[in-house]
Amino acid sequence: MAKKPQIAAETRPWRDPDAQPFVRISGVTKKFGDIYAVDDVSLDIYKGELFCLLGGSGSGKSTLLRMLAGFEEPTVGSIAIDGQDMAGVPPYRRPVNMMFQSYALFPHMSVAQNVAYGLKRDGLDRTAITERVDELLSLVRLEGYGKRRPDQLSGGQRQRVALARSLARRPKLLLLDEPLGALDKKLREQTQFELVKIQETLGVTFIVVTHDQEEAMSLATRIGVMNEGRIAMIGEPQDIYEFPNSRFVAGFIGSVNLVEGVVTEDEDDHVRIRSAELGCDIYVSHGVDCAPEQILWWAIRPEKITLTREPPEGDANVTKGTVEDIAYLGDMSVYRVLLESGKRLTVTRPNLHRSDPDGITWDEQVYASWGGFSGSVLTS
Amino acid sequence: MRLDAANGRAHWNVTPPGAASRAPFAPSLLTFAKDFEMKTPLALALAGLSLATPVLAQDQVVNVYNWSDYIAEDTLDRFTEETGITVNYDVFDSNELVEAKLLAGNSGYDVVVPSGFFLERQIAAGLFQPLDKSALPNLENMDPEVMESTASHDPGNEYGVDYMWGTTGLGYNVAELTERLGEDAALDTWDLLFDPATVEKLADCGVTMLDAPAEAYAAALNYLGLDPNSETEEDLAAAEELLASVRPYIRYYHSSQYIDDLANGEICLAMGYSGDVFIAEAAAEEAGQGIEIAYTIPEEGALKWFDMFAIPADAPHPEAAHEFINFMLRADIAAANTNYVYYASGNEAALELIDEEVKSDPAIYPTPEVSENLFTLNAHTPQYDEMLTSSWTRVKLGQ
Amino acid sequence: MSQSETPLRTRWYTKLFGPGAASGRALVIFAPVAWLTVFFVVPLAVVFGISLAIKEFGRPPYSDLLTVGEGGTVQLTLHLSNYLRIITDPLYVTAYLSSIRIAAISTIVALLIGYPMAYFIARARDPWRNVLLMLVILPFWTSFLLRVYALSGFMRGNGVINGLLGIFGIEPIQMMQTDFAVYVGIVYTYLPFMVLPLFTTLVKLDVSLLEASADLGAKPWQTFWSITLPLSLPGIAAGSMLVFIPAIGEFVIPSLLGGPSTLMIGRVLWDEFFSNTNWPRASAVAVAMLLIVVVPIMLMQRAQDAVVEGRTR
Repeated sequence: MAKKPQIAAETRPWRDPDAQPFVRISGVTKKFGDIYAVDDVSLDIYKGELFCLLGGSGSGKSTLLRMLAGFEEPTVGSIAIDGQDMAGVPPYRRPVNMMFQSYALFPHMSVAQNVAYGLKRDGLDRTAITERVDELLSLVRLEGYGKRRPDQLSGGQRQRVALARSLARRPKLLLLDEPLGALDKKLREQTQFELVKIQETLGVTFIVVTHDQEEAMSLATRIGVMNEGRIAMIGEPQDIYEFPNSRFVAGFIGSVNLVEGVVTEDEDDHVRIRSAELGCDIYVSHGVDCAPEQILWWAIRPEKITLTREPPEGDANVTKGTVEDIAYLGDMSVYRVLLESGKRLTVTRPNLHRSDPDGITWDEQVYASWGGFSGSVLTS
Repeated sequence: MRLDAANGRAHWNVTPPGAASRAPFAPSLLTFAKDFEMKTPLALALAGLSLATPVLAQDQVVNVYNWSDYIAEDTLDRFTEETGITVNYDVFDSNELVEAKLLAGNSGYDVVVPSGFFLERQIAAGLFQPLDKSALPNLENMDPEVMESTASHDPGNEYGVDYMWGTTGLGYNVAELTERLGEDAALDTWDLLFDPATVEKLADCGVTMLDAPAEAYAAALNYLGLDPNSETEEDLAAAEELLASVRPYIRYYHSSQYIDDLANGEICLAMGYSGDVFIAEAAAEEAGQGIEIAYTIPEEGALKWFDMFAIPADAPHPEAAHEFINFMLRADIAAANTNYVYYASGNEAALELIDEEVKSDPAIYPTPEVSENLFTLNAHTPQYDEMLTSSWTRVKLGQ
Repeated sequence: MSQSETPLRTRWYTKLFGPGAASGRALVIFAPVAWLTVFFVVPLAVVFGISLAIKEFGRPPYSDLLTVGEGGTVQLTLHLSNYLRIITDPLYVTAYLSSIRIAAISTIVALLIGYPMAYFIARARDPWRNVLLMLVILPFWTSFLLRVYALSGFMRGNGVINGLLGIFGIEPIQMMQTDFAVYVGIVYTYLPFMVLPLFTTLVKLDVSLLEASADLGAKPWQTFWSITLPLSLPGIAAGSMLVFIPAIGEFVIPSLLGGPSTLMIGRVLWDEFFSNTNWPRASAVAVAMLLIVVVPIMLMQRAQDAVVEGRTR
């Protein structure tokens, strides 16, 4: 889970303009034939970070990770790790280890042999290796499993062997390719905690590739959202969620209501947008870099909208509709509200009471309203 | 092989290596192709159960099993033309192989051509049916002297009739031997093969022997001044010792491969059958690479053998077999075959039709003086044969 | 098969093929069993039977095992002399040992040549991979005999190789009728049997394992020794067996290319059968050869199982 804010405040080097990045990816492009797998990506990652590369399949996130590991060379651009240019450095000479999506455990070796593999290459003596292997196995809570072979382990155990193996050589940078992808939901949540704990304990920089936004949100110090080989947005989880910089990012992370509108007022301290889809004006309580008459988009998360039977005050940020559908999810319910324009809004409300006989129900006329800081104005 | 129409003389066109027309791959390949079927123990077992060769309409077919390189090119076609009987023609290069097939039974062959000294015991084992002499009017063409000789194997000539006869001597590359042994060296002696000091000098250009124990031991015994027909253990041991003493200089033991190899200079001395060496000689001449091959009946003497037509007891087409043998005994056919393969014919009537060149060649028709030194072989008893073959195996493998 | 259908007395095919052997399934299993019985078990039994007879001059050229005596007593006569001879006569022992040596050396050479071939074919990109595989298989489309004969054209005294050497003024080398020619022949002929199983295991090898090894600091050769090689052991075993076993009994190649001192059991067998007409001894040689072939199969099978299961406990 993301670090506590007070710690995070001290460890947010990306907010410090003088900080030296640990990994510097500059202008990296990777072409396979005519296809751009990674397209002009620049990215700085700092020591101690748990950085998530988030994107759908084919977004280029795995290719970027493989370039960091040294399995692929960039077509254009450079990668530096700890100040050292990685051009032409083969995987076995990089201060980097990787945990593979498939775990890539050596099937003909025991768990201990798998974990010891990297240590042997480093020329450690037998006792040092045994000690380190024991240490790692206890780190991933697999004491006593050293003699087993990978095919005698469960998926979760294999994942932990892979983690132990990739940590064995004390890499400065650990690359994790969909580390939780093969685990079921329950195990995944539990493992997320462990992964973060281990990362904090060891102080290793993690770069995690994932397609799972929840995983990214809960693990990462920062997230880089990738789309079609490019970085769509880099930011802390909260920034990504609350302040998406584009319709893609807004739509990719969580669910969102997205409407089109026209700027009618453009002031330093507020903006007014008329939206035919919403059937009302949107009043944004902060300045936006835009021009009058400009067409733009406005996004709001379902939980930021309030539903009421009575009309709230004000001429803006409120619209009327009918509850078309309600999905009860336990902790909350999801309401689908049909507006007069035919647009549907998704709204979530926490279920604060075990039962609410007077709750808003199907086919009711409701007012949907929101605050001036609740939505995001998107120009792209 | 082809018929050279220009000078009316038959030639074996055993092509030199690399020539495009190496189509038939020499008869030895055919033999191997057959042997190859016998490769696995399973096939070996099946050989016992094997079914006869395909039987077409009764008496429309005759299955002939003859020595390789032993018939004129057009003989079979002429036979089919005249009689309407199709010939399935198969070849071998060793008496032992024929015997193995006949003993296995159901060989499917109608006519086989073993040598007299094998025929003898095969008759005793009941492998053949008596010839129906009324179906063989051309028997009257036969040379009475030859008939007398073959009667020693086959009393009364009941089961076999001679096809051709020849000698087992030495074929050699004249230039290579002269170069290694000197201009004056005698080349008409078994010393070439059996004197270790001599044969050693020839080892590098290639010396080969027939893979035929009966003939190898007969030659060795004769060279040692012993009776070639001896069946005593001491004599056998003496012969084995002689053969083993030259074993290091022998490149291979094979009964047909040497024809090609002599012709194209792969080897320079071969213990071989007279006619086969002549085939090599003609082939070398044809190739025009300046290789000169010669055959000699060594002065110490050599084996004279008779190859006999015989009909297996279980021949599927005995009538066609008789017709085939009778055809082969015709004077013109016998002469054509001899003119083609350079083996002496057992056919007296054919003599006047045989080329003067062949008739006057003492290596084919030996002079009376040379004939003095020729000897014939009797059939070995199975007990001696057992000793002989295991001795031969020891020699060949250099054990 | 439902409960109601199952009679108290177990059906014969259920006994043979296990429960649930419905008639269709029994038929499917019956076909290969019948095939093996007719074409393997029966001939083998015939061969084994003959091996217990002794040579007789006649047709068939061996003694009867069963003879009916006076009063209809049936007498079974089994001769072990052929086996005794095989054990006591150094010829056979030497021939077996020499066959094993030739087969083993050929197998090792085929492995050394075949492994890199299979490796690069497995690593080749797609259109090329198929082309290369085709090139490996292509020789099968011509007669085996023809190919061996063609080899002799290369190796003979005035053949292609010596012709090339002659250009550089090098004296001709005697290659034909030597063990060298036999090795060349066996390796050449059986190489595809080595390459194909190796290819199959190598192409299935998970590339991420090799990447993981490199990632953990292993240089390419270390990765090869500790990952690629151990994981391709099943392919090595399969390929080696496919070369070794037929090479032991090889007859044609030593006959066509080898010299008289190239002692192989296949030739001894042929000689016993065709030159000596000693069927019983030839059969005994064949049975002994089968044992010699079966034993390495079982040993290798066991070794392979050990590799697969080993390290577990």
